[in-house]
Amino acid sequence: MRIIIDAMSGDNAPGELVRGGVLAQREQNVDVVLVGRTAEIQKLLLDCGAAENPHIILEDAPDIIDMHDDPSTAVRRKPGSSMAVALNLLKNGAGDAVISAGNTGALLTGATLLVRRIRGIRRAAMAPVLPNGGRGTLLIDCGANVECTPEYLLQFGYMGSFYAKSMLGIPQPKVGLLSNGTEDTKGTELVKAAHALLQDAAAAGRITFIGNVEGTDMFSGRADVIVTDGYSGNIMLKTAEGTIKFLMKNLKSALTASTRAKLGALLVKNDLNALKKMMDVREVGGTPFLGIKAPVIKAHGNSDARAVSSAVRQAVSFVNAGVIAEIESHIEFMKIRGGED
Amino acid sequence: MNSIFERVRDIVCEQFDVDAESITEETDFLSELDADSLDVVELAMSIEESFGIPQIGEDEIRGIQTVGDLVAYVERALG
Repeated sequence: MRIIIDAMSGDNAPGELVRGGVLAQREQNVDVVLVGRTAEIQKLLLDCGAAENPHIILEDAPDIIDMHDDPSTAVRRKPGSSMAVALNLLKNGAGDAVISAGNTGALLTGATLLVRRIRGIRRAAMAPVLPNGGRGTLLIDCGANVECTPEYLLQFGYMGSFYAKSMLGIPQPKVGLLSNGTEDTKGTELVKAAHALLQDAAAAGRITFIGNVEGTDMFSGRADVIVTDGYSGNIMLKTAEGTIKFLMKNLKSALTASTRAKLGALLVKNDLNALKKMMDVREVGGTPFLGIKAPVIKAHGNSDARAVSSAVRQAVSFVNAGVIAEIESHIEFMKIRGGED
Repeated sequence: MNSIFERVRDIVCEQFDVDAESITEETDFLSELDADSLDVVELAMSIEESFGIPQIGEDEIRGIQTVGDLVAYVERALG
């Protein structure tokens, strides 16, 4: 297994990306390709004592796509960037998956243009897994496609279901459609049309569709997969992240406010650490782009070495799980013929 | 040897998952194939690869509206 890391993108690049690659190589026994300015990377590898590691391969890429680059044109304007070179390596079979902590829009466009979508998939989607106290809830899409058709949402339902089955270990993932009420009649025209398509897929026994779900079901565990358009999904994801930050910050303040509170916190220290770990993005890995021909994972922009290593673990599982082959084998059921919406 | 139109048409069919019979030189990417800007750039890249022509500029991509426009562009690029 060979995982390609865009070593120059992200808030902490290249240091944490290189250290994360080294950590993953040592802990997970995978080959790692570090893409970027080789002189800088070589120096960091020396500091890590990994300069001679035969399982760490360097690929030179002199340019960098940053947050100021236009996502829609970045990979074409900067073919020598670490992101474009990494994606081309994946396309050409020089690795099994790509991880990047860089510009999300550029990575998504780059993955679509260079690695390409699975034939028949209309749009790739971003599908992070959020904690729910169990195996997690997959939210698809969380920002790749602001405007969607019912067919896109149908495909997100299938792809999310396959990913949850293989990667979260849920034999029959429950797929819910985000709406403003659980009744079938609730929602926009898009939601109502997608509801009918998902219901048909469930009637044919291809997915387990539980109908509409609401925002409160993000953490309830009622649905294993929540399908939505990228606009609503992004707002939902950011709201959830903000709420978690707010709660954790205030919990910490409350537990350190007095000697009595501190004593209480000491008694539940292990439980609090478990909660903290569950909410820690460094443990989660990254966000997979579903619908692309090979695994591409967006790591958090401020990923440290541990987070990069977690993303590598996720990439290895993604490759081994056969999610892409399963999407390909079901593609005929995932399309609406005749372009009808 | 297939004509340029046939080669372009095959690439269009592959990308948009449509039958060859439905594609003519007049086929409009936006209104008939429901393409957006990302689709058109993706198509341009497939054309560049397939015909071995240099990168199609952003302004030129914006001017390609129909299959015929794309065929004409390829003919010009191949000289």
